[in-house]
Amino acid sequence: MQNELAAKAERIGFVLKEFGAEMVQAMVILVVGLLLLQFVMRKIKGFIDKNIQDRHRANTILYIIYILLLVIIITSALITLGFDSRNIFRLIILGALAIIAIMLVLRPYLPTLPFKVGNTVKVGSLLGKIEATTLVNTRMKTFDGKTVFIPNSKILNDFVINYHYTPSRRLKIDIPIRHVRDILRTKQLMEAIMIEDPRVLLKPARPVVYTLNLVDGCVKMGARCWVENTKFWLTQCDILEKILTRMERENIILAGRRQAIRLFHETPLQLSGGDGHPDPGSQAAENPSFSAVSDDDEI
Amino acid sequence: MKITDAIKIIDDNWITKPKGFRVCMQRREGSEWVIDYTPDEKAAPLDSDVTTWRTAWKLSVSTPLRDGAPQEGDLVNIFVVDQDNNPVDYYATGEKETFNPCPV
Repeated sequence: MQNELAAKAERIGFVLKEFGAEMVQAMVILVVGLLLLQFVMRKIKGFIDKNIQDRHRANTILYIIYILLLVIIITSALITLGFDSRNIFRLIILGALAIIAIMLVLRPYLPTLPFKVGNTVKVGSLLGKIEATTLVNTRMKTFDGKTVFIPNSKILNDFVINYHYTPSRRLKIDIPIRHVRDILRTKQLMEAIMIEDPRVLLKPARPVVYTLNLVDGCVKMGARCWVENTKFWLTQCDILEKILTRMERENIILAGRRQAIRLFHETPLQLSGGDGHPDPGSQAAENPSFSAVSDDDEI
Repeated sequence: MKITDAIKIIDDNWITKPKGFRVCMQRREGSEWVIDYTPDEKAAPLDSDVTTWRTAWKLSVSTPLRDGAPQEGDLVNIFVVDQDNNPVDYYATGEKETFNPCPV
């Protein structure tokens, strides 16, 4: 046992004596190179962020530069250590070709995220802008300022709405009104408000108003129009505000949810005889059940 | 008449779609009133009349009318105009509206 340890120590001593200087040089190159790489990448990132607006493209360029510089540092360290430079380059080229070939073959079968950095997407119940993606998770900034890290596995298993693919969205505003006599006036004012808004588009479809249904004692009117994705939310708020103020001005009564409450006031039945029928002159017959409907449905 | 021709007549004659909105006002500069706009005429107009009217109202409450001689920076007769400088009806009342009205 002691002999084995002594032999190992002797072997290590020999290696250090023979290649110690090269190993130290290689280590220095590696450590200094990696520190320099960090510094240089920070500078390059600052430059790219200023000059390239497309985040996805900027990240791709950064990754490529990082990998190239990393390969140069490792190769320099290996050459210093005494490895044959031709073999190293062959190995690098072989590795790169193998990776490209595997990616090309497997790409159709690899699950990919259905968005890119900078897209506005809805994942499950989360709506926001994608800030970054890694192999494990995706960083999203929601519109109320929260940064959410979503596991990629969840994204791949959940439904995702990507608002980037289509430039416009259909805006939908449903308004319940009380009286049938107001249908035409409501339709006209809703359509006019949509048409006169500069943000409302005429394609893929013109603004239109439908009488949707008659439920719970109210007529439901539906306004539909198309607006650009980026202007969707504010346009929706503005149009709703204009419709409501205009309806108020024109005395069109909005309908709220109607709720019927039936109150039953009954006294115990007083049976006469044994026939099971109430006595016509009893208190129960004189106090029939009554109903009341709450009607506080005006907004 | 083709449906496209009918739609063209409607588009041209029923409701015109403004291209944008600006707040128009008179601002005291030295000893005279000058007409000013926000956003200024070199910048793109706002695409929301609701936002533009809101801006007009905020400007009016930030520079209320004062008794006595007008002072530098006072803003009066604040209203909203379209891209051709035509006054726009206030959507809340359906009529022409001017904040901080003042004969100048």
